[in-house]
Amino acid sequence: MIYVIEDDRGWEDYYRRILREFTLKFFHDGVAAMAEMDTEVPDLVILDILLTGPTGFAVLNEMRSYPELVNVPVIIVSSVKMPEEDAVALKQYGIVTSLDKAEMTPKELLMRVKEAMRG
Amino acid sequence: MESEVFGTGSSAVVVAHELKAPLALMRQLALSIELENDLAGAQKVSEQIVATSERALRQVNDLTKVARLEDAMFEMEPVNPRVVCDEVLAELWKYFRFNRRELSIEYKNKRKLVVGNRQLLFSVVYNFCLNAMNYGGEELPSRVIVRDLQGNKVRVEVRDYGPAVPTKIWRQIKDGVVKQPVDIAMRPGSSGLGLYIAAKFANYMQSDFGLIRHRDGTSFYIDLPVSGQLSFL
Repeated sequence: MIYVIEDDRGWEDYYRRILREFTLKFFHDGVAAMAEMDTEVPDLVILDILLTGPTGFAVLNEMRSYPELVNVPVIIVSSVKMPEEDAVALKQYGIVTSLDKAEMTPKELLMRVKEAMRG
Repeated sequence: MESEVFGTGSSAVVVAHELKAPLALMRQLALSIELENDLAGAQKVSEQIVATSERALRQVNDLTKVARLEDAMFEMEPVNPRVVCDEVLAELWKYFRFNRRELSIEYKNKRKLVVGNRQLLFSVVYNFCLNAMNYGGEELPSRVIVRDLQGNKVRVEVRDYGPAVPTKIWRQIKDGVVKQPVDIAMRPGSSGLGLYIAAKFANYMQSDFGLIRHRDGTSFYIDLPVSGQLSFL
């Protein structure tokens, strides 16, 4: 199960088509996603940074405070340009990769997700 | 006025981000067409690209209008709000559909014409609707409602059933001090910029602009004076 936390609803169909071989669950804010993670541990989280309410970083912090969610891989997909030092810091949070919405390709996204799902 | 939109660093960042978002999505959608196996799938993606680009173009046009407000390019005229709302619905229904949302209209007004500017009123209602799409709940459709008010005014409101509007935004609108697009992290998507544009246009038309916080959502509204001119529409 892959959780996609993305508040721009225009991306939903895109993810459904590119990642059609996987089971996806969509959340439009971090609060709803965290509530769901109380009862279910996802195999992977695709996370936007600029979200309604708590930011993606806040969601990440929250996730990493629960032992059962510590090892859940996270792929950040955001239009926020990540400074190099932030990208390094994110590695410590177990971020698999960080993709720029404006620069990635659908094939790259699919490849990264497959890698993350293989562990 | 231009400097008001682009003059501060944070405002420029908000505008840049809001314009980057649909561009990034369009690029991804265009790249993904080659992964579609059938014509119907490719056609659907193509339609989403068109709808997304139309939304982005509308944003650019609105920003241009904001910059031209001081030049008094927009004359006050008798406007039929029902016609304007129908036009907004005609332009947005596909965009709502692609975002798995619905938009409906209720006309409760008996008075036909208001004093305003047709282009600016269109933009106000359009931006209210986009805001409702971004923040509205999924169970109930967002609604455009046109109703008569006491004191020879007509209200055009857009009701959504989403989470509460943050207090900071509510205060800014209530106090009529929407001076720049609001904090990007708090109002992502089109909402911060859209409400800013709507407030500017409402102010230009000397109409009342505000919001009502309901237990289960929010209504953004604009109140316009009734036109004394007879309606032939």
